[in-house]
Amino acid sequence: MMKKIIFIGLLFFCLNGCQKKVQEIVIGTAGPMTGDQSKLGGDVANGVRLAVDEWNEKGGINGVKIRLEIGDDQHDPKQAVSVANKMVNLGIAGMIGHFNSSASIPASSVYERAGIPMITPASTNPQLTNQGYQMVFRVCGRDDQQGKVAADFAVQAFQAKKLAILHDKTTYGQGLSEEFRKAVSEQSKAVEIVSFDGLTQGDKDFRGVLTALKGKNPDMIFFGGIFPEGGLISKQAKEVGLTAPIMGGDGIFDPKFIEIAGIAAEGSFVTFTPDPEKIPHAKGFFQKYKARHGEGLAPYAIYAYDATHILLKALAQAGGISVKGDKKKVSEIIRNMKYDGALGHIEFDTKGDVKASPYVVWTTKGGRFEEFWAPGQPMPTNASDVLMPATHDASS
Amino acid sequence: MTLPLDAMLLQQLVNGLTLGSIYALIALGYTMVYGILEMINFAHGEIYMIGSYLCIIFLGIFTYFGLTQSHLLLSLFLVAILSAVTCAGYGIAMERIAYRPIRSAHRLSPLISALGVSIFLQNYVMLTQGSSDKVFPHVFPISSNSFGAFPITPIQLFIIVSAILLMAGLHFFVQKTSLGKAMRAVAQDKMMASLCGIPIDRVIVVTFVIGSMLAAMAGVMVSIYYGVTSFYIGYVAGMKAFTAAVIGGIGNIPGAMLGGILLGMIESLGAAYVSSEFKDGFAFIILIFILIFRPSGLLTKNA
Repeated sequence: MMKKIIFIGLLFFCLNGCQKKVQEIVIGTAGPMTGDQSKLGGDVANGVRLAVDEWNEKGGINGVKIRLEIGDDQHDPKQAVSVANKMVNLGIAGMIGHFNSSASIPASSVYERAGIPMITPASTNPQLTNQGYQMVFRVCGRDDQQGKVAADFAVQAFQAKKLAILHDKTTYGQGLSEEFRKAVSEQSKAVEIVSFDGLTQGDKDFRGVLTALKGKNPDMIFFGGIFPEGGLISKQAKEVGLTAPIMGGDGIFDPKFIEIAGIAAEGSFVTFTPDPEKIPHAKGFFQKYKARHGEGLAPYAIYAYDATHILLKALAQAGGISVKGDKKKVSEIIRNMKYDGALGHIEFDTKGDVKASPYVVWTTKGGRFEEFWAPGQPMPTNASDVLMPATHDASS
Repeated sequence: MTLPLDAMLLQQLVNGLTLGSIYALIALGYTMVYGILEMINFAHGEIYMIGSYLCIIFLGIFTYFGLTQSHLLLSLFLVAILSAVTCAGYGIAMERIAYRPIRSAHRLSPLISALGVSIFLQNYVMLTQGSSDKVFPHVFPISSNSFGAFPITPIQLFIIVSAILLMAGLHFFVQKTSLGKAMRAVAQDKMMASLCGIPIDRVIVVTFVIGSMLAAMAGVMVSIYYGVTSFYIGYVAGMKAFTAAVIGGIGNIPGAMLGGILLGMIESLGAAYVSSEFKDGFAFIILIFILIFRPSGLLTKNA
């Protein structure tokens, strides 16, 4: 028995030793890989892996293979920092992540100090890039852009007079809701915000707060949060007798939102980027992704995919494996890069945000998401099929 | 369109009563096991979670064979029975594997064992069923209040009525049957009961079976009510139900019912009239007050 243990121990020792000799470039991705949001984290990891495999098929970066490390932050700020430290110790050359704003913001200081570039595919809270960090980038939009587009739609196109706002108390959800509220009050003094209230992520019962909203008679309910709660809110709102449509941010843009809410999801509004399936560059991505994962829409996989390509391209330009000592160089290259990928043209500003503000409004119709409205347009004429009749009730 | 205040209050009370019925059913399992073994079965919430999954799985099977479409009520009844029986199996296995071998150990050991079972079951369901939320087949039309002016949905009515029936059944079982009497005897004094010839092990197994079945029923109800379940719902629900059991007086069966319903009401009314931001907080604020002013719970221990 003892011999066996020693043998295994030696074997491990040897394996460890062997591994160190192999030259490879390690990049990391992190997000909620287990727990209630594990689908979102999994989508991101799938997108990153697809891009890494494409590079490895072509021989890696200057002949050096790329290895992917996946970290699970369970959308917990504390866990995110420990994952970030672990990644730094593993010697990653760059990070695609994290997913949630509440995880990305605390983790970003770790990467900044270590001089490792991070590109988040999904964290939209403005604070992330307002910290003055050199290493932080994002390929998605910001909540102040998103909140403004949502407010434009609600006030100008939809012409809501009374708005109720709910959020899930997270950095993302509450942040987006506050940006929305701010943008609404800048737009028009005549619009009344009848309620601004938080709820708990992971809860399943929102009937209490929704029943209370019924008495306040809003024209539209804005929800800042993620789809598991979004879907239930949409369903329970109809059950308690609310007729106002639900509007949300990119967090509820997921097929599960419609699956959970069922027929009650019809006529909801979501701010998201324009349909990537319409971008010619994205075709290749969707074909490959579907061939591998077979599932429907995984909205963040495409962001992760492009972010990974940007990172790997920058690493290649900076000189591949030899760059290890000088990671600042990589972040400089990313900042000046003009990349045409699956999402279209991407260029970063000095803060690390994408230059173009990409949001439009989608609606749910016939169990699917469908592009509906872009800023500056009037309300689409086919709106009557989409909206619940009671929202146009003159007596309300 | 604006609701008069009293109609809204009524609707909130119905929401609270529905939620409370579910808490009460779970709380009963906590309180019964505590009454007999003086141990807190932290894995009890996971049995409820498994019940909610089984409901969706069995209903999916019935839908596949077309039974749901032709006989909705019958298939729901069968789903409830099957889930309860399967969960009873989980309860028996849990008692046998995790609790019986360490029954005479220090009282912390079963507690830690229970936490282990809880973590195991959560991860077991996550790995076998996937980590994303499972959605209940849409077999019911979304209906808001269909009983005229009285704001209650058919599903809420179904949950409240079945919870009351189950609780009445349990009360009858504990008070009137010989097995129920044996249970009360074991709860009062295990040593004395065994000297009188009561098969302790069997009584304990029966306790776990009943507790698990009630939790399974709560799981089935919650699946129907919310239309969605996930592997982590057992944790918070377990905490709430445990709070309910303590509010009513742990070890006390009517206390658990009262505590559960009270908790549901407080949460619903608090979320509606104070702030939904602190919805989970209300439960624990009440717990603190109860522990300060009536440490043994609202109803004193008698079962």
